Amino acid sequence: MNQAPVLSSAKVSAHSESHINRKFGFWLFLSSELLIFCGLIGGFLVTKHYAATWPTQQQLSLWLASLNTFLLLTSSLTVVLGIENIQTNKQRSLALFLLVSALLGFLFLCGQAYEYQHLIFTEKFGFGDPFGTAFFILTGLHGLHVFVGVLWAITVALRARRGTYSSTNYTTVEMFGLYWHFVDLVWILIFTIVYLI
Amino acid sequence: MQQSIDTHAGNAIAHTHARTNPVLVYAILAIFTLLEVTITVTGGLPRQTLIPLLLAISFVKASLVALYYMHLRYEKAIYGIVFIIPAAFAVFLITVLLSG
Repeated sequence: MNQAPVLSSAKVSAHSESHINRKFGFWLFLSSELLIFCGLIGGFLVTKHYAATWPTQQQLSLWLASLNTFLLLTSSLTVVLGIENIQTNKQRSLALFLLVSALLGFLFLCGQAYEYQHLIFTEKFGFGDPFGTAFFILTGLHGLHVFVGVLWAITVALRARRGTYSSTNYTTVEMFGLYWHFVDLVWILIFTIVYLI
Repeated sequence: MQQSIDTHAGNAIAHTHARTNPVLVYAILAIFTLLEVTITVTGGLPRQTLIPLLLAISFVKASLVALYYMHLRYEKAIYGIVFIIPAAFAVFLITVLLSG
């Protein structure tokens, strides 16, 4: 009679440990990602120091980068609001907020694509010069992260609509949130270093 | 059923504290971004002042995201330690390279 609750409690404990392990693993992953971006930002600054030519802020479309920054900041807010909604079991609201985040991420990518074509075809910067190499690798890798985040947001939103998550089961949503905020955090640094300084 | 119980137990760790209003954090981030752009565009400050100021604002913004959106402020200390070590390295590297 007494064995069932004991086993159940043990299972709960094991699952809880699994959740904590997953989260810890995800934080380790984000830390390693931060080091990768740190290396690329360092490379960008060194390249800028030694480069003979470097584009001005007008050539870099500061207004567009600022707009993109607001898009990512807003998308981070919608992710936070989505997670708050699933904590009160509002699955449809979670799906809606995540789809808005995905849309904002997609708009960010459109802005980045426009910026790339402007730099390559109008300003004539490419992979052949120091600026182009440093800039496209750094912002391109970040853009790739946004792209993955958009796909992940859509996937989580679709699963939320099917009722996969609840107020007691949203670890995956939380992981996605961490990833998306991390992408936002990295952009905050890139925006200042690449476009403002 | 077990799945529900387990994640609840895990998530409960992070969600038992009263949270800062995310809209307020967003407003602060937006104001700081506007400030950064305005300072840069107006160009009134000398470069020796401008760069440290922009970097400081950027680090404050990144910290706000980590603390309040990524919930590091409310999470287990170990997550913070794991993330702060590379973050401190990043701050150090950027500061050294920009001061050189």
